[in-house]
Amino acid sequence: MSAENPYAVELKNVSFKRGERDIFKNIDIQIPRGKVTGIMGPSGCGKTTLLRLIAAELKPSQGEVWVNGLNLPTLSRSELFDMRKQMGVLFQSGALFTDLDVFENVAFPLRVHTKLPEEMIRDIVLMKLQAVGLRGALELMPDELSGGMKRRVALARAIALDPQILMYDEPFVGQDPIAMGVLVRLIRLLSDALAITSIVVSHDLAETASIADYIYIVGDTQVLGQGTPAELMASDNPRVRQFMQGIPDGPVPFHFPAANYRDDLLGGR
Amino acid sequence: MRLFGRAGIDVVATLGRSVLFLLRALLGRGSTGNSFQLLIKQLYSVGVMSLAIIVVSGIFIGMVLSLQGFSILAKYGSEQAVGQMVALTLLRELGPVVTALLFAGRAGSALTAEIGNMKSTEQLSSLAMIGVDPLKYIVAPRLWAGFISMPLLAMIFSVVGIWGGAMVAVDWLGVYEGSFWANMQSSVSFREDVLNGVIKSVVFAFVVTWIAVFQGYDCEPTSEGISRATTKTVVYASLAVLGLDFILTALMFGDF
Repeated sequence: MSAENPYAVELKNVSFKRGERDIFKNIDIQIPRGKVTGIMGPSGCGKTTLLRLIAAELKPSQGEVWVNGLNLPTLSRSELFDMRKQMGVLFQSGALFTDLDVFENVAFPLRVHTKLPEEMIRDIVLMKLQAVGLRGALELMPDELSGGMKRRVALARAIALDPQILMYDEPFVGQDPIAMGVLVRLIRLLSDALAITSIVVSHDLAETASIADYIYIVGDTQVLGQGTPAELMASDNPRVRQFMQGIPDGPVPFHFPAANYRDDLLGGR
Repeated sequence: MRLFGRAGIDVVATLGRSVLFLLRALLGRGSTGNSFQLLIKQLYSVGVMSLAIIVVSGIFIGMVLSLQGFSILAKYGSEQAVGQMVALTLLRELGPVVTALLFAGRAGSALTAEIGNMKSTEQLSSLAMIGVDPLKYIVAPRLWAGFISMPLLAMIFSVVGIWGGAMVAVDWLGVYEGSFWANMQSSVSFREDVLNGVIKSVVFAFVVTWIAVFQGYDCEPTSEGISRATTKTVVYASLAVLGLDFILTALMFGDF
């Protein structure tokens, strides 16, 4: 069913709890194959958790997570590691290996998963680094890079094996306008040219809306809204409108659940 | 009462996790290909880098043993036996035990901090996402490096300690060299003393490395969590070594 299925990733009736707190309750999400899908929502709503569920780093307390025709929660440990070769994840911090330089970081997936000759590995690494504009930084160590540069190296590493599914966790944070423009185009290009399924988790509305084919807005343990960027912009669902227009007061609370403010302030006496 | 119950459950759960962790790291299928290189690298950082502290401590402990032993034995006119005393103490007890304690402080804490830091900077996660099992790539080589290097370090410790003892007794205090070594030779048995010491250090190596690596892998991924895990490594490992030493000694030499 894998190649025929129009969806690369499907979450069916998934719930996830952290301790006693519900992060997700019976959500359904379908990520179309070969497209860029944005997952947006207020911070702390569990966007990163959603990525970790899709990457099977976390197990849902209930429900099914299908990736390329495999139900992840039922896979064994070694099957999972095999499956992950088809995925690339760009973590928020970059998560470069601090004992390896930039070149070796990008070469790492190639070295462990392929038996390519050294010259070919070098060529691939240079091409990937060129794509993120850091070919000149190849001999630097991760601690010599800025946060934004680290993330770009991590992107080069994530695409080293040409994965079918690429997940980006907040790719736009900490990028200057130039790098941001390049990144936005790169994500789009990877999807268009290589038919990579991209999942972009972000709260940067403008950038995400500019590249995403489809957007899910999550929050308050639910999917608040979904659709193409244009549909969402025109939506009359109050919760979607509040998010898309950045209005502080509305059905989506800005405040983390708390006791009454006045009681809290006076109760301390 | 409830708190006790919860603490008990936590302890059992942690033990269970640590056993699973060990089995997965050592027995699980799938290798990373260049595991030999990884092991060599870890043997260097865990074993070779601990040599200095082991050798220096070994010399001093041997010298102190010799001094103390001499002053006591001289009262009974049997200072020739100092060689045998130094050798037996080192081979049976101090070699394995002190090496394990020093190893927990030097290499064990470093292992915990290193793995904990990898966890908090998402390096372990990103390894997993690249499709490489961190248990195989990060944990297994470190476990094996500890298992292999600590018994060797304990032997080096004993040998160097005996040299230190000989230096003090023979060169400084004037014990007759022939009787120093001959006494040692006649009283130290390979099976009883040397082999039992090695068995001890193998057991300690297993326990100390296991604790260190597991604490790093299981720590809370924050700076506070890492510092707590590092402290736990040294405390748990030291207590485990001392407790096990008593049990092993009772099993090995307790039939009198």
